Amino acid sequence: MPAIRPSSKRKAPPDGFSDIEEDLLVFGNKMKDAQNTPTDNIPKHQAQWPIFQISHQRSRYIYELYYEKEAISKKLYEWLLKNGYADAMLIAKWKKQGYEKLCCLRCVQTKETNFNSTCICRVPKAGLKDGQDVQCVSCGCRGCASSD
Amino acid sequence: MLKSTYKPSPGALQPLPPGWTEHKAPTGHTYYYHADTKESTYKRPGAPPSFVPQQPPPINLSDPNVANAFMAQYNAPPLQQHGRGGFGGRGGFQNRPRPQPTDKPRSKVAIPGHDPWILVYTKYGRRFAYNPAKNASYWRIPEKLMPAILELDQARIRRKAGLEDEEEEEEEEEGGGNQRRRRSEYEEVEVTDDEGDGDDDGEGHAKRQRTEEPGADGPVEFTEADIAAQLAAMGADYGDEEMGSDEDWEGEGADPPFSDEDARALFKDLLDDFKINPYSSWEKLMEEGKIIDDARYTVLNTTKARKDAWEEWTRVKILERKAQRATEEKKDPRIPYLAFLQDKATPKLYWPEFRRKYKKEGPMKDPKLADKDRERWYREHNNRLKLPQSTLKSDLKTLLASVPASALNNQSTPDHLPPHVLADLRYISLDPSIRDPFIEAYIQGLGPPPTAEEGGLEEDAATTKAREDRRKRERALQERERVVAEEKRRQEKRLQFERARLRDEERELERAMVVGKKGLQSQLAGERLAERMVIKKEAEDS
Repeated sequence: MPAIRPSSKRKAPPDGFSDIEEDLLVFGNKMKDAQNTPTDNIPKHQAQWPIFQISHQRSRYIYELYYEKEAISKKLYEWLLKNGYADAMLIAKWKKQGYEKLCCLRCVQTKETNFNSTCICRVPKAGLKDGQDVQCVSCGCRGCASSD
Repeated sequence: MLKSTYKPSPGALQPLPPGWTEHKAPTGHTYYYHADTKESTYKRPGAPPSFVPQQPPPINLSDPNVANAFMAQYNAPPLQQHGRGGFGGRGGFQNRPRPQPTDKPRSKVAIPGHDPWILVYTKYGRRFAYNPAKNASYWRIPEKLMPAILELDQARIRRKAGLEDEEEEEEEEEGGGNQRRRRSEYEEVEVTDDEGDGDDDGEGHAKRQRTEEPGADGPVEFTEADIAAQLAAMGADYGDEEMGSDEDWEGEGADPPFSDEDARALFKDLLDDFKINPYSSWEKLMEEGKIIDDARYTVLNTTKARKDAWEEWTRVKILERKAQRATEEKKDPRIPYLAFLQDKATPKLYWPEFRRKYKKEGPMKDPKLADKDRERWYREHNNRLKLPQSTLKSDLKTLLASVPASALNNQSTPDHLPPHVLADLRYISLDPSIRDPFIEAYIQGLGPPPTAEEGGLEEDAATTKAREDRRKRERALQERERVVAEEKRRQEKRLQFERARLRDEERELERAMVVGKKGLQSQLAGERLAERMVIKKEAEDS
């Protein structure tokens, strides 16, 4: 493993990073908090929900800045992806039709489920029974179909 | 809204004109249909729209049904027509019927001295007198019970004053919630509680229990359900008019004189004022909730509209910033570092020592500068410090001479030297106490700027226009708030007036009712007396 360089020797992030630095820091702190909260008294499958949710929010934030508002440069966007601020695979899905609101990659991974199907949160509200309240097992999503 | 039990007698309805038929809509409304003209209407055709309320001269308020109907008639029509966009239009709230407050009897107290009568308190703090023997109940407490109830209340207050302090007592009086009693307790109690909030159930009940007369439940032989039925039958319509009118004015926006654009612009001004970072997310903005308290937050009615406005604003802002950055000259990162060197550098410290000592300082951490460069400049600067003053001065002079006349002339100040100068080692080698007078003298010896170019004027015009627009919008907002407040005040006044009138009329009726056998005689006697007076006067005149 290469040695971690001190910040003084690291290359500076691309221009524009200072604009979003604060918000990313907020996300980072939230993530740290989520990682450090004890998970003793919650169901095992729920332990990682906050992690998934914060990572989704952060990816969404960067995605919107780059693709919708065009507020950050390509260079900065790539730097952010490279440095793990956003999930490139998830963003790749968001660009596909029908996956615009996808909550996490696990929810479209059919091979990992018993019936080779996607997660319940992918089902549009119209296809559910009236008043059925779903929350998916992998990330706690309550529904991320594009038609909702 | 509770329905009034008062109904005009069916005989008052006129028969339908020929051709009209009466139907029930699926919603339950009655409507009328004319088969030939294919016309349908909710209004009863042929009937005069204004129903003349029969003035009841032989009204007998001692009969509970008549009394209740009478009260209902006076309290019945709550003014609902004025616009009620007050709730910021959160959802389609306006048109939905208000949740019906369901009042329930809470406790009962036997009235001492009047055996079958009991005083029943309801969940909303109202109370009524109930006679289980005659199965009659009154919101208005009958005259003959008044003294007994007064006594009862005094006893209760005295007891409480002994136990708790005044504040708690009042709270108890009010039933804990947002209910207010407008009139004197003894006339009637009105409910201004809009949503039947159940949160005061628990403690309120406990408190009531505590204040109950000992042995109150003793002789009474009817159940809670009984009272509930009574309550329902009594068509409790009071106080609801208060509810309606109060609520109408809760939010502002009874009359939105703002166009959509103005509202959006105001909202954007708000974002400007709070220095919202256009790069941060909407969720963060909502989480912080700084802007929510501002009056301008409510000019847009829905969160969706707000988010739209915000999005538009961020896009514009980001573009603006980009443009600004493009035009703005690049700030040289060397300038702060060199200034720092001039302040801190000393030949006594080697570079590694210097770096270790000041590694926490901003210019030493600046990622835009390479560490190697920093080291090089440090060494150079220290070497230059050893040079004689005259050399340093001549060096500085050559540096200043290299600046074109457009950037440096006799109108420029020593505080605003071009960055080209500031980022040079030769500038910092001299001590400021020697350097600054030297530079000042040099500047004064220079010629005037070559040509004055104009560019700032247009921009100035644009900014003044923007400022003007903004001021206009703000004035409009103030105007609107003023109008709303005034309207509210007027409404309040009218309410007060109506209430006073109602009380007057009630009193009049009471007075009319107490006229008994003797009263009639006395009245006649009075008339006769007046006649006699007139005749006497006439006689005197003639």
